[in-house]
Amino acid sequence: MGGSSGPRLSGMQRQVLGLYRGFLRAARLKSIEDRQKIESIVSAEFRHNAKHVDRKNFLYIEYLLRRGKKQLDQLKSPDIDGLSSLDVGLSQTHHTKA
Amino acid sequence: MALRAAILRHVRVPVQILAVRSSERSLFGAGSFFRSMSSHGDDRPTKDEVTERVLSVVKDFPKVDPSKVSSDVHFQKDLGLDSLDNVEIVMALEDEFKLQIPDLEADKIDSTHLAIEYIYNHPMAG
Repeated sequence: MGGSSGPRLSGMQRQVLGLYRGFLRAARLKSIEDRQKIESIVSAEFRHNAKHVDRKNFLYIEYLLRRGKKQLDQLKSPDIDGLSSLDVGLSQTHHTKA
Repeated sequence: MALRAAILRHVRVPVQILAVRSSERSLFGAGSFFRSMSSHGDDRPTKDEVTERVLSVVKDFPKVDPSKVSSDVHFQKDLGLDSLDNVEIVMALEDEFKLQIPDLEADKIDSTHLAIEYIYNHPMAG
């Protein structure tokens, strides 16, 4: 994207990292407890997918990006502490709800 | 002028005390006092300060071996971090220096060297 010669990140990698940064920024606006919970859940989810999703599986990564953006929009709402909506995203990893 | 005279009359007590040392000195003292106040306002951290604080943020990062950290290490090549860690480190630097770094810039900061340069040149770094 943009064709800048600087970093060797693909457009998709940049989107993933941008989404991750977006989650961490949104977490900053929550209480300290919620922030820590959100950070650990988000970090686990991204690292899980980084490890287990084939980096050539663009369709699936695009789907994950779209889902992540929706979850991030929800998380940004001040009434939401973020845990339940993110737990849905982690359902495969058998996270117990708080 | 009346006000000035009134103020001066009030101020005389401390001035007389200071006059024991030197009344001129007390005037210079006041001058440099105000100068240091005003320069403090736009006082950005020196390069050494930026370097020291960047390195301490990186050393405090849980996955980093502090003994490997210098002012010219690449986060991923030298410290064994991944791109997600890189995002976290840049966010931690934002916290430390009270900055918000735009995504396009943040993606480029992949070493202590670039972090120090970027922050040192940032007008809002505090």
